[in-house]
Amino acid sequence: MDNLKEDLKKQLIEQLNLEDLQVSDIADDALLFKDEGLGLDSIDALELIVLLEKYHGIQVINPDEGKEAFLSVNTMADYIRKRKS
Amino acid sequence: MSVQITGIGVVSSIGLTVEENLLSLLESRSGITTVQYLDEKRNLLTGEVKASNQELIERTDVKNTNISRTSLLGLVAAKEALGDFKHDLRLKTGIISATSVGGMDRSEVFYSDYLSENDPEYALLKCHDSGNTTERIAAELGISGYINTLSTACSSGANAIMLGARMLLQGKLDRVLVGGTDALTKFTINGFRSLMIYDEQWCRPFDESRSGLNLGEGAGFLLLENEKSISISGNKTLCYLSGWSNAADAYHQTASSPDGKGATLAINNAIIRSGKSRTEISYINAHGTGTKNNDLSESVALKNVFGENIPMFSSTKAFTGHTLAAAGAIEAVFSILAIQHNLVYPNLNYDTAINETGLVPVSKLLTDKPVNTVLSNSFGFGGNNSSLIFSNRK
Amino acid sequence: MSFITSYCHLTYESCSVNGNVIVERDPESDDNWFKQLYKNQEFVYPKFYKMDTLSQAGFILSEMIKRAQPSIMTSYQDDEIALLFANQFSSADSDLRFKKSYEEHGTPSPALFVYTLPNIVLGEIAILNKWYGENMFAVLPKFAPDFFVNYSQVFLSTGSEAVLCGWLGIAGDQINVFVFLIEKQGSAGMEFNAENLKKLAGIELV
Repeated sequence: MDNLKEDLKKQLIEQLNLEDLQVSDIADDALLFKDEGLGLDSIDALELIVLLEKYHGIQVINPDEGKEAFLSVNTMADYIRKRKS
Repeated sequence: MSVQITGIGVVSSIGLTVEENLLSLLESRSGITTVQYLDEKRNLLTGEVKASNQELIERTDVKNTNISRTSLLGLVAAKEALGDFKHDLRLKTGIISATSVGGMDRSEVFYSDYLSENDPEYALLKCHDSGNTTERIAAELGISGYINTLSTACSSGANAIMLGARMLLQGKLDRVLVGGTDALTKFTINGFRSLMIYDEQWCRPFDESRSGLNLGEGAGFLLLENEKSISISGNKTLCYLSGWSNAADAYHQTASSPDGKGATLAINNAIIRSGKSRTEISYINAHGTGTKNNDLSESVALKNVFGENIPMFSSTKAFTGHTLAAAGAIEAVFSILAIQHNLVYPNLNYDTAINETGLVPVSKLLTDKPVNTVLSNSFGFGGNNSSLIFSNRK
Repeated sequence: MSFITSYCHLTYESCSVNGNVIVERDPESDDNWFKQLYKNQEFVYPKFYKMDTLSQAGFILSEMIKRAQPSIMTSYQDDEIALLFANQFSSADSDLRFKKSYEEHGTPSPALFVYTLPNIVLGEIAILNKWYGENMFAVLPKFAPDFFVNYSQVFLSTGSEAVLCGWLGIAGDQINVFVFLIEKQGSAGMEFNAENLKKLAGIELV
């Protein structure tokens, strides 16, 4: 049903070189930028912007927009749906 | 223990010689414009040197025209710094240069050929090989003694100067040409844009509204000589290099720490090494790239070191753009000129202080303050932080 | 006087510490050679996977030096260990990959751009160990023992108490990496001079 979230997780692993992780390791609501979550950093945030363009054709001009959108896989999926409609 | 500086040379977007650069600084004339020479379609603001490769080739009189723009720029500045150079087997001579793009502007032409191949030929990379730039400059100048290339990002130029000074003091060299050079390339433009720290507008160092850097290009060189070399060359001492320091920030590959630890260490240790007190620093030529991160981190470091008594400071990167490996060297020349002519350069485009720190740079050219000792900062990716102290006294 | 107290070699076939082979590459493995080393030595540092080959090599070998010479972690202040590395090809591998990302894919990758400076490996080592000492990276035509001897002496006489040195000769599958630790104390080690360094470095390098 929700392929978007599963695809997103695969793309995250691919784009961010999260080699130690499987799709099943990433919870939908895991906080991407917190240590308890995926512990991503500022360069990863920039790569997420690249990911959105590469896989979803969405351009994020202002990096601050990303701060809200990139909290978790859930918020990313919501952001993508909103931008595409 | 100070080291004597007997020659300076510089080429940047604000001039092809020391004189031209000085005039631009005095007239608050920035060199940042839209791209003119680089084959780049975007309407980007950059600090390009206002000369084509052909013009630089004619100016330097090189015979083998298969030469990168980085080498050409370096050659222009190095020749100026060397002045009336005479070979002398009694003197151990060297050149320590710094670059981050090397011959990349040449290999950008070649790359499209072997991007399609599976096994790129590494021998072809020889032109891009950063070390090749220094070797080419050395060959053109007839220096064959000690040749070295440093590559530590935006602090490279300062590190080359520092290393040269230390080699002199350790007696390993008698005279050394030190500096850095970097040409503008699509590679670096793409890179800094991908990091989202390239400002579409003219950069505004230390301003609350700052949103990134403008890239620049250029080269700067100093000639350092010990007593033995000076007694033979008869060169006049222009200025002294009294202090230096390099420290790691150990925080992030590209961002500076919020507490400015590495920068604080570098500045403090440079001052200690100079034997001067904090109050003796007349002027600080800041790294001040105009990025949100650097300018805040550097401001915090300045407060850490100087407390409430921060000397007059400004960034000259709104004049030249961020010239990467050349920055530390170009700004070293500017620092020396400041001492020679009692100048404090304006921090162009400043309007409002950064909220968190409230520091106010000098925004108008000052010509009536004694400038005896200048601190110059250069902070590079990889957390490589360097500070140099120039002085008109030993 | 200073001493070489510990050293590591890495080639495309094997990794050795103080002259003893620790790991040999498994040509059948799905994992690339650096990943094999990471897993074999049971390192736990997920940032490893984001690094380029220069940084991965620097990370692995500096960690192995730490294991071979654990006193390094307790004998020094956090700004007393200098890092002095060099190589011939700068960050050529990463430069090519970054170029591809914008020329072929149209999306320049910030994560790749980060590694298009050879000194980032020093940043990675400093970040991991919280070492605030001097960092220097040079690009040389070939491995030069004199370079390491001269510059280490400069560092050791101006505030550093130890220098972690490295030659990161990496270009594609051509791997000739040599990392060694220089300390002021360490009579058990070999005296640090160009002759001894040449001997330890091995004939592939000199």
